[in-house]
Amino acid sequence: MRAGMMEVNYEKVKKGTISFFIHCFLAIVSLSCLFPLWWAFASSLKTQQTVFNDLSLFPKNPQWENYYYAWAKADFSIYFLNSLFYTVVVVVGVLFVASMAAYAFSRLQFYGKNVLFLILISTMMIPIPGSFIALYVLLNKLHLVDHQLGYILPQINGGLALGIFLLKTFFDDLPKELEDSAAIDGCGRFRIYWHIALPLARPALAVLAIFNILAVWNEYLLAMLVLSSKQLMPLQRGLMVFQGAHITQYPLLMAGIVITVLPVLVVYLLLQKHIIKGITAGAVKG
Amino acid sequence: MKTYLRFFMVSFLALALTGCSGESHKQKNLNSKSITVWHWMSDREDALNELVNRFENETQVKVKLELFAPSEAYAQRVKASAQTGTLPDIYGILGEKRDFASFIRSGYVKNLNEELSAKLGNETDVWKNSFFAKALAVNEFAQGNEFGIEPGIYGIPLDASTIQMVYNKKLYAKAGLDPNNPPRTWDEFIEHNRALKKSGLPGFVSGFGEIWMIDALASNWAMNIMGEKKVFATYEGKVSYNDPDWIKVLSLFKQMADEKILVEGAVTMVNKTAEQTFANERATYAFNGSWCVNVYKGMNPGLEYAPIPPPAVSSAYPIRVWGGAGGSLVVNNGSPRRDGAVTFLRWLTAEKQQSYLSQATENLPSVKASLQHISPILSGFADDMDNATHPNVYPVHEYPEVTEAFNKGIQSILIGEKTPDEVAQNVQKTKEKELAKNAK
Repeated sequence: MRAGMMEVNYEKVKKGTISFFIHCFLAIVSLSCLFPLWWAFASSLKTQQTVFNDLSLFPKNPQWENYYYAWAKADFSIYFLNSLFYTVVVVVGVLFVASMAAYAFSRLQFYGKNVLFLILISTMMIPIPGSFIALYVLLNKLHLVDHQLGYILPQINGGLALGIFLLKTFFDDLPKELEDSAAIDGCGRFRIYWHIALPLARPALAVLAIFNILAVWNEYLLAMLVLSSKQLMPLQRGLMVFQGAHITQYPLLMAGIVITVLPVLVVYLLLQKHIIKGITAGAVKG
Repeated sequence: MKTYLRFFMVSFLALALTGCSGESHKQKNLNSKSITVWHWMSDREDALNELVNRFENETQVKVKLELFAPSEAYAQRVKASAQTGTLPDIYGILGEKRDFASFIRSGYVKNLNEELSAKLGNETDVWKNSFFAKALAVNEFAQGNEFGIEPGIYGIPLDASTIQMVYNKKLYAKAGLDPNNPPRTWDEFIEHNRALKKSGLPGFVSGFGEIWMIDALASNWAMNIMGEKKVFATYEGKVSYNDPDWIKVLSLFKQMADEKILVEGAVTMVNKTAEQTFANERATYAFNGSWCVNVYKGMNPGLEYAPIPPPAVSSAYPIRVWGGAGGSLVVNNGSPRRDGAVTFLRWLTAEKQQSYLSQATENLPSVKASLQHISPILSGFADDMDNATHPNVYPVHEYPEVTEAFNKGIQSILIGEKTPDEVAQNVQKTKEKELAKNAK
C-alpha cells in the first residue's frame, strides 16, 4: 500500500516536473515572440530623440499622438481600404480557385493529371520577384499596369500552388463514402464539392486563408512594380514614408507597424480555432 | 456561401472589365499632358511635393511626382519600364556608371549638353556654370570614355554630398583638447586619440560593416600618399599593391587597431548604427556623408560637432574626399514632353528652389549660389567640394573582386587577423588573377 502511494507520488512528481519544464519552455518561447511586438509598441510611444537613448519598455512620457501623426502623415486612410480590398479579393480568389483545382486533382481522373500537378507544384519554387520583369512586360501588354487587377491577378496566381498542394492533401484524406452517398442521392460534382467537400475542408481553408492574408497584407515589392498611383497603393506604401535613404523616423514607423499589425492579429484570433484544427488535422502535412 | 460566391464573381468581373478596357501604360504616358517624375528619395518627398505645387502655380504646367522606394524596388521598376518603353519623362538611374551608360546606349536618356550651355532670359551665365562642377561630373561622359558613349552631360544633380570626418566638440573639451582645433594631420589624430583615451572618452566610429565606407576612407589616404595618377596606374595594373605606398595606406589601419582608436564593434557596424553611436556621444569621431547633418539633427538636436577632412598623412598630395552629386535626374529621350521636362529641371535647380530644398532636407545644394542659405555645419561639408572625387568619375576602374579583397583585407587588419603585407600580397594575387582572366 505504502509502496503504491510512493509510486503514485513519484508519477505525480514526474508529471509535474515535466509539465513545469514544458511550461517554462513555452513561456520563454512566448516571451521571445511577444518581445519584438512589445518593443515596437514601446518605441512607438517615444520621440525620435528618446528612441535611441531610452531603452525602457514602458516609456515615462508616452507620445500617443504618434499614432495620429502616423495615420495622417502616411495617408493610412487611403491605403488601409486599398489593402483591405486587395486582401479580400486575393484571398477569396485563391481559396475559390485552389479549392476547385485541388478537388479536381484529388477526385477526378484525367490524362496527365500527375504531370500537371507536379508542374503546378514546381511553380512554388519560383518567387514572384524572380519573374518581375517578365511579369511587368506581360501586364503592360494586357494594359494592367497601374491597375488593381494587375496587382490582384499575380498574387492569386502566386498563392495557387501552395493552396492546391495543401487542399489536395486534405481532400485525399476525406472519406469517399460521404461523396458516394451524395452521388447516389443525385448530387452532381459541383454540388458535392460545394456542399460536402468544401465545408469539411474548413480547417484547411482557414490555414490557407491566414497564410494568404499575411502575404497580401504585407506585400510591397509587387505593388511598387505594378502600381504608380498613390490612390491604388497598399498599406505597406504608407510605412515607406517614414524610411528615408538616410533617416528613419522610428517612433512613427513603429506606430505605423502597430497599426498595420492589428487587423492581422484580429483575423488570426478569429480564425485561431480553425487554424489549430487545420494544422492538427494535417492541413500542412507533407 | 452563395452570397460570398456572388460577391467574389461580381467584383472579379467588374475588375476584369475595367482592367481590359483601359489604355496601355505606354499610351497613357504618350497622351498625358502632365510631366511625370519618378524618384526614390522618400526623405525628400514632402519638400519635392511642395516645390511641384509652386511650379504648377507659377507655370500652370502639371507635374506628377511618383515615389518608388526603397531604392531596390525603384531600380527594378525602372529596368522593367525601360524594357516596355514606359519610362516617365523624368527619372533617376541608380547603380554604377556602366548601368547609366547602358540606358544612354538604349536611347532612354537625353544628352543635355545643349541645354546646359544655354542662357535663358536675363540669366547672366549658362545653366551649367550654376552647378558645382563635381556634382555635374558624375553625370558626364567625357571624350573617349570607356563605355563608348557620345560625350555629354546626361543628368541633372538635385543635390550634392561629400563624405568626410566629423568630431564632437563637447567631448574634445572634456578631454582638455581645443574644441576649435581638430586634427589636421595623421600624427595629430593619433595624439588627440591618446588624450581622449586618457580621459576615458571614446574614439572613432564608422559603418565599416558596409565595406564601401572602408573603400572611401582608404582611397582618400591613398590619393593623399601617392597621388591620383599612381592610384589609377594601380587600377590599370601598372603598379603593384605590394608597392610601399599601398603598404603605408594599409598600415594606417594597423595603427588604428594597435592604438584601439575604433569603438567596439565598429568593424562590422552598419552606418545607421554608427550614426546612432556618434549622435549619442559614444564616439568622438565619425566618418560619414553630408546627409548625416539631418540624421544627427533628428537623433540629438543638441549635438555639438563639426566636419573636417580626414587627417592628412602626407603633404605631397591633397586629401581627395568622395563626393559629387547626391541624387540625379535624367530626361527620357523618348518622351514627347522632353522640353517641358528640361524646363522643370531648370526651374528646380534655380537658386531659390535649391535653397528651399537644401533647408528643408538638410542636404547640400547642387548649385553654388544656394550655399549662402544653408547651415554652417552643412556649409562645412561643402568646403571640400573642389577636392571631391568619386569612383563614378575615375577614368579607370578597379575590378570589383580586387576592391572587395582590398576592403575585406582592411577589415581583417582592423580585427588583428592579418598584417598589411599579407593583405597587400593577397590583393595583388587577386589583381593578377583578374588581369589574366580579362586578358583571355
